[in-house]
Amino acid sequence: MKKYWKSIAVIIGIILSIGTFYVNSAISAEHYPVLTVQTVNGDVEEMESLIIEGAYRNLSSMNYLGTDLKITAQGSSYNSPSLLDRVTGYYPTVIKELKEANRSFMRGKSLAANQYFEDNQFLAYANIDQKISSLGSSKFNFEISVLNKADDEVNSFTLKVPVEDGLDHVFLEDVQLVKDKIYLITQNMTIKNDDFNDEKRVYEIDRISQKLTNQEALLKFTQWKESLHTHIQLVEGSPTAATEHIIMVKTEDTVMEDTESTRVTDSKQEIISYNLASKVTETINIPGLNLEENQLSFVKGSTIYFTRVEEQELIVTPYQLGANQVEQDYRIQLRSTIDNEHIESPIISVEEDKLYVVSRQIDSNFNGDVAVVDIKTGEPLFEGQITLGNSSEEHGDFEIYMHEISVKQ
Amino acid sequence: MIEVIEVEKSYGRKKILKGISFTAKKGEITCLIGMNGVGKTTVLNAIMALTPINKGKILIDGSPLDKTGLEKITFIPDTITMLPKMTIAEAMEFMNDFYTYWNQERANELLGFFRLNRKDRISSLSKGNAAKVNLMLGLALDVDYVLMDEPFSGIDMFSREEITNVFTSHLIENRAVIITTHEVGDIEHLIDKVVLLDDGLVTKEFSAEEARENEGKSVIDVMREVYQ
Amino acid sequence: MKNYLKLVNFEFNRIAKLFAVLLGITFVMQMIGVIVKSRQYLNIVNENIFEAMMSKTQFLEQVGQLSFIDIARSIWFTAPIAICAAGIGFYIFLIWYRDWIGKNTFAYRLLMLPTSRLNIFYAKITTILMMIIGLVAFQLILIPIEMSIMKAMVPDEFRNDLNVKELVVSLPQLNLMIGSSIGEFFLYYGSGFLVVSILFTSIILERSFGWKGIVAGVSYSALAIAVWLLPLFLHEFVLNGFFYPMELLILEIIMGLIVLTASIWFSRFLLMKKITV
Repeated sequence: MKKYWKSIAVIIGIILSIGTFYVNSAISAEHYPVLTVQTVNGDVEEMESLIIEGAYRNLSSMNYLGTDLKITAQGSSYNSPSLLDRVTGYYPTVIKELKEANRSFMRGKSLAANQYFEDNQFLAYANIDQKISSLGSSKFNFEISVLNKADDEVNSFTLKVPVEDGLDHVFLEDVQLVKDKIYLITQNMTIKNDDFNDEKRVYEIDRISQKLTNQEALLKFTQWKESLHTHIQLVEGSPTAATEHIIMVKTEDTVMEDTESTRVTDSKQEIISYNLASKVTETINIPGLNLEENQLSFVKGSTIYFTRVEEQELIVTPYQLGANQVEQDYRIQLRSTIDNEHIESPIISVEEDKLYVVSRQIDSNFNGDVAVVDIKTGEPLFEGQITLGNSSEEHGDFEIYMHEISVKQ
Repeated sequence: MIEVIEVEKSYGRKKILKGISFTAKKGEITCLIGMNGVGKTTVLNAIMALTPINKGKILIDGSPLDKTGLEKITFIPDTITMLPKMTIAEAMEFMNDFYTYWNQERANELLGFFRLNRKDRISSLSKGNAAKVNLMLGLALDVDYVLMDEPFSGIDMFSREEITNVFTSHLIENRAVIITTHEVGDIEHLIDKVVLLDDGLVTKEFSAEEARENEGKSVIDVMREVYQ
Repeated sequence: MKNYLKLVNFEFNRIAKLFAVLLGITFVMQMIGVIVKSRQYLNIVNENIFEAMMSKTQFLEQVGQLSFIDIARSIWFTAPIAICAAGIGFYIFLIWYRDWIGKNTFAYRLLMLPTSRLNIFYAKITTILMMIIGLVAFQLILIPIEMSIMKAMVPDEFRNDLNVKELVVSLPQLNLMIGSSIGEFFLYYGSGFLVVSILFTSIILERSFGWKGIVAGVSYSALAIAVWLLPLFLHEFVLNGFFYPMELLILEIIMGLIVLTASIWFSRFLLMKKITV
């Protein structure tokens, strides 16, 4: 046996050392804070279909990787990035569900939710394929696929994007399908004689003839004009919610550049809507609703929801686009505002006549709020708190950021 | 029986073996004789599948060399093939580990016969002693076939004598031995069968005893006839 | 099987010295590194707090605590890892070529052993794998020791403690060596095993056909790797991202197994029919 001792020693060493490492890391991985939903008011059943998704991060460790977590009425569940998750990568729940439901259609398609449109009849997808030739000129193609849910027929085609002089880049921002017309909303960047210009553009494509039937520049702007910085943000509804209204928020910041820092001295916001059916662009002016205080938080159909936090209250103001009128606002009591200096407006969502409200952040010191409100009556159906279940245990500093809430139908 | 049938072998464009056939039977010492570079070592390497052949067949007891074939055969190359840092004892242990037919008693007998010290390292051995160890490792296997490549090349006179003695001893009895040499003098009286190689072919294959008895010729006399 | 194990043990004993040297280099350099780096940090603490009269909180804000990551990123820590990697890379070739050095060589002995010649291949690749994983295991044993040395040298308030797992996750070079789960471990070392077996096949090609074998070996390696990664290439350049990630992973594992089988089969053929001593 004497001549075998080296090999045996090394093999035992390997098994002990590597085994201990994996066993230890499996044990230590389970030390996530357990979160539970505590009822303050109403019936917890009301949030039964709500799924809150966020990322957990332990601040006291050097681990920069967050851990995904889900919070439901039943409490929290963690999903530490396993090998499979790393390989498959993270993608939003919307995409995950689309993939599960339409495995073959979703093959090889982008993971960005804004490239999809879904209603009861169709699932539409668009992508921009940009080819840059060696001379520097670019060619753009729209790649479009439409799945007809009735017969599972997939209709895929490619369209050349008419290229105007100096067009440098096309970003696809949204896809809509209204009455056999596919609308692609893009931001196009042109460079002409060192002038950088941007525009929001809408392309109208006939689903049946597969032809470009119309295109229109919605807004033209220059991102930087001396100290004036302009950006226009398209407000995304859920891709599964069809809308005739394209809502954009235009922000103009006056930026002062000192030697050491830049700061915004003045900021103006404007809300612009474009009606796909009537092709009318209009600036929305809401008397009595100050855009500096009120934040555009959610769009559902033709209703825009603005939020603001006042002391310990979240005020949600709905605005009807067609009727151009502000409706009765909803007031939700907040119990665990993290600190008053920079209150982050909670995430809201409206689904099936219910307004869902969830705090954006939870950490070792502060709980989170969760509320469900009946949209017709304004009555709170449920109010609760997301709290640390086993607070006796030591967790060190941690923070959890919510990034998505969804409602299972 | 080892059968070498129509074996051809080239190194690059040079054809070393041009169709060689001969057999080696148990109880016989077969001697491959030829000039340096005629391909004697290549024949032995080919039997052990240590070098590929281009054509022909080599059969051990009727079948190509495989695991069981390797159990039946021992090849003693012209230099020792153990790691230089091993001691003789370690080399013997290595053989004992891997060969079912390793005969420890016989190995010890050979050690005594050659007066070798089992604690010596292979790298420290004189040429003669290295050749003896090589022989000892090869012959301590209880196998049917023994191949020896130039067992006497570059070895001093006394060692030569000792090695020659092995051939007359019981160590060789009932085995088929193939031995290569380019100078036949020392072992002429020991060999049963001679295979003369020249220019990649077997020029003559004959029984030494028959030549001696029937024609009154020694092996060297026959060689002289063939090569002139 | 018995002969295979004996051969593994035999091959491992042959590299034991080199293995010990690599362990020694790693141990000595990393220990020095921990001490040097901790001292350096303590010197900075002394200069600022005791000489420049900086307050502790101010110091921690500006300089920060000492974390083992700072040590693990230093040359003292990474250089021995690089040396070990180079040593193993070198040994992948040496483990074959040293049996052919000289005139009548150990290759004779190995090829004449009454066992499948493929066992020689298996034994050599197992030895390489044992050496690699052995070094990784040693590193995993060393880290907690090094951490406790750092703990002994640097007072609590000046250091940021973390465990081995956290360190591994934070440093890409360690993460690549160990992986954060056992699945990753098998995936990494499976790929490593495949690459070594392709290299071995190329070496055997060279040993069989001389300089022509070098050309054949290089071509074989390129082909084997191309076949292995074929699904990935198709996915990226031809099929426009057709596969789902999970499918791609499974395809790659299957292709890897196919290439591995082909490599072993080809090596077996060469060892039996084409090898020259």
